[in-house]
Amino acid sequence: EDTGGDDEVFDYGKGDFTEHACRYCGVTNPACVVRCNVPSCRKWFCNSRGNTSGSHIVNHLVRAKHKEVCLHKDSPLGETILECYNCGCRNVFLLGFISAKTESVVVLLCREPCLSVNALKDMNWDLSQWCPLIDDRCFLQWLLKVPSEQEQLRARQISAQQINKIEELWKSNPDASLEDLEKPGVDDEPQPVALKYEDAYQYQNVFAPLIKLEADYDKMMKESQSKDSITIRWDIGLNKKRIAYFVFPKEDNELRLVPGDELRLRYSGDAVHPSWQSVGHVIKLTAQEEVALELGASQGVPVDLTHGFSVDFVWKSTSFDRMQGAMKTFAVDETSVSGYIYHHLLGHEVEMQMVRNTLPRRFGAPGLPELNASQVFAVKSVLQKPISLIQGPPGTGKTVTSAAIVYHMAKQGQGQVLVCAPSNVAVDQLAEKISATGLKVVRLCAKSREAVSSPVEHLTLHYQVRHLDTSEKSELHKLQQLKDEQGELSSSDEKKYKALKRATEREISQSADVICCTCVGAGDPRLANFRFRQVLIDESTQATEPECLIPLVLGVKQVVLVGDHCQLGPVIMCKKAARAGLAQSLFERLVLLGVKPIRLQVQYRMHPALSEFPSNSFYEGTLQNGVTINERQSPGIDFPWPVPNRPMFFYVQMGQEEISASGTSYLNRTEAANVEKIVTTFLKSGVVPSQIGVITPYEGQRAYIVNYMSRNGALRQQLYKEIEVASVDSFQGREKDYIILSCVRSNEHQGIGFLNDPRRLNVALTRARYGIVILGNPKVLSKQPLWNGLLTHYKEHECLVEGPLSNLKQSMVQFQKPKKIYN
Amino acid sequence: DDEVHVRQKVAEVDPQEMADFDRELRALMQESLDSRKLELRSRPTINMIIPMNLFEGPTKEHHSRVMEGESGDDTTDEGNGGTKEIRVKVLVKRGNKQQTKEMYIPRDCSLVQSTKQKEAAELEE
Ligand SMILES: [Zn+2]
Ligand SMILES: [Zn+2]
Ligand SMILES: [Zn+2]
Repeated sequence: EDTGGDDEVFDYGKGDFTEHACRYCGVTNPACVVRCNVPSCRKWFCNSRGNTSGSHIVNHLVRAKHKEVCLHKDSPLGETILECYNCGCRNVFLLGFISAKTESVVVLLCREPCLSVNALKDMNWDLSQWCPLIDDRCFLQWLLKVPSEQEQLRARQISAQQINKIEELWKSNPDASLEDLEKPGVDDEPQPVALKYEDAYQYQNVFAPLIKLEADYDKMMKESQSKDSITIRWDIGLNKKRIAYFVFPKEDNELRLVPGDELRLRYSGDAVHPSWQSVGHVIKLTAQEEVALELGASQGVPVDLTHGFSVDFVWKSTSFDRMQGAMKTFAVDETSVSGYIYHHLLGHEVEMQMVRNTLPRRFGAPGLPELNASQVFAVKSVLQKPISLIQGPPGTGKTVTSAAIVYHMAKQGQGQVLVCAPSNVAVDQLAEKISATGLKVVRLCAKSREAVSSPVEHLTLHYQVRHLDTSEKSELHKLQQLKDEQGELSSSDEKKYKALKRATEREISQSADVICCTCVGAGDPRLANFRFRQVLIDESTQATEPECLIPLVLGVKQVVLVGDHCQLGPVIMCKKAARAGLAQSLFERLVLLGVKPIRLQVQYRMHPALSEFPSNSFYEGTLQNGVTINERQSPGIDFPWPVPNRPMFFYVQMGQEEISASGTSYLNRTEAANVEKIVTTFLKSGVVPSQIGVITPYEGQRAYIVNYMSRNGALRQQLYKEIEVASVDSFQGREKDYIILSCVRSNEHQGIGFLNDPRRLNVALTRARYGIVILGNPKVLSKQPLWNGLLTHYKEHECLVEGPLSNLKQSMVQFQKPKKIYN
Repeated sequence: DDEVHVRQKVAEVDPQEMADFDRELRALMQESLDSRKLELRSRPTINMIIPMNLFEGPTKEHHSRVMEGESGDDTTDEGNGGTKEIRVKVLVKRGNKQQTKEMYIPRDCSLVQSTKQKEAAELEE
């Protein structure tokens, strides 16, 4: 399911179809490959080391315990089984070359016994110069050439881990290919996550391999994302750094570039231009899907060129390293978390503890809206408990509640409060709200994101460092100016600058009431000597457990996890890791362990008609409406809702689904065409583009809709370009006034894929404030119980319709019997 | 500047992987040696037939011939085809028949080093 670009497929194909291609990396040069001569094996391998310590052939022989090889017929020695010239021994681990007497005639001789036979000495052979066939974990390079750098770069970049796995697989299935490794069920499953753990070492033993799996997968996927023939638009930033704008086409919805990602831009050179490359950070993704890359190098950038560039992803292990580090700290450092939290996190039975703090008289906070009853209850109970969970269904004000909690925690005088979330967007929102209460907030950003614009720039550490003291006297300020002007400093100045900057960073961070950063950011070396007794993690249901652990192991005594386990969880790319339970958040496990989440119950987002089904299906009917029908009526908007007071309908679609061009996703042309008609009707009725969001679970459909609207939109093209078309997943945490949901899946016998996840349906249904239109095939969707419920709900309210938009009629389509779900 | 490094995916070999691999390799070597020692209780004799005609003919020129370098000095210029190589004859068996194949091996290989040294020694004598 994860295929790279076309070129990659081509190379892989070449490797697979040539019989003598190295089975690891695909190199086919006959001078570089040998065949394993074990009859059941007969696979070819090359003599390059790739990313491993031994060459591929040596790797194979060692891993498979095979010992014989045969040279290629086009190699200098022709098709030859390597064997001892004297005794015929074919074990390559024993063979070596030796000069026969003094002349330039060499033969292969085995080390045992032939080399140790006295007769040879008598024949005047110099036995000390026996030259083993395998030297430094590689075949003698003059017998078996090492593929050129070019050949190696083009080859598949197989890792030692993959080699181990494929060798394991070959033992049961000798014809398996590397691609088979990704298929489920062919390889040992990792140990799944548990509910309880004996100790933090056992915890680490379970999670460390899962994180490793995910990291390896992430690396493999990102590094295979090289793109060629990229066209650049050059610009220059305020900091005088070069910025390259370009479109980075994506194959499917697996790789999402985010600001801060590192990319390498390359130009291979031509008659006039030398080859060139530079690494930079993504600082922005424009609405037109353009990437803005700020380059590290400012000299020698070929700005006179625009075409023929290549882009590679530079994978960073930082976040995974920090998760592994946090687990280790959790295990070995007893002061990393309080004893209570330690045992509680591991699922041990611990006696309930209360935090002894005087409670504030009011639970609201300055600068924030008044809290409702369930929010007050949440703040109050959280302040008294060492571990608490707050469940915030869509639109229930969890950011405000979190900010109020942090405000009161900070006022308790227990030191600085650490506030985290997995995503930068959520951290920014929270930092802004907390800062509104008057607390001193420092927003710590990753170094790679310092150039990324942020709505809370004034709170960021790098901004505050630059603006702490801008007087003439400030040495740091002077050096900073010099650095900005010249691009670099002399080495002694650079040293001074770094020291001053570090000191200033410390000074500012230490004087803050609250530090805000992403969960991974909490592992930043700049916080290494900080201790935080109180930690709040927002969106914690979207983080993996080890990710959540990073902010906790800085000495936590009181932790608040905010999230909603009825919405989508963390994105895990590696299916094996996901199956083993890495996608389950700490929040969810604590719920399973019996910690009852405090639920915020009043929603302020959706028209009451829109919140009814989600409330009943996902929140046991507890969601109350904090907005009235009147507050969610948009005067002057004339849209053909089938039932006037219910701004919703399910638009029956019978068009077939198709597999997208990339082969990894789906699209549905009929639905796309009708999405355009609905969008146009909204626009004509006076809705502006920024109020509309089109969401769909499939990247194929997302891309198709964008394309379709810009070509076939009945109104001005620009209007359609301004409409956000996104995946359901990327819309989590956000809202729009009007949502159009295209379900895509429409087939007789296959399933409904992504739509099967109830949490995805919950997210899709709860993004709209004023109205929602769902396009889908009821016959297919009704097989799934939850969708069946949704369709029945729409039908009962006379909102299941078909026909032209101008003349919608109730649909009489028959639903299928829902199938039971087996888990 | 570390940019040059990044370009080629410089193979970063995991030390753990390397250690594991080395251990397995050594074990395989040892096992190979041990099994031979057990198998062949009685030492075999050398029964190689090295066709004598191989040693005749203009071999003196062969082994000292510098293949692609122009001058005799031993500068180590790698990469651009300037490596100096020596032609050797490799004796292999095809069934019961011997065959010779020609091959080039680097001059600094211990195999030919020794013959050269010996020659030098012989000359001195
Ligand atoms: Zn083999
Ligand atoms: Zn290979
Ligand atoms: Zn032998």
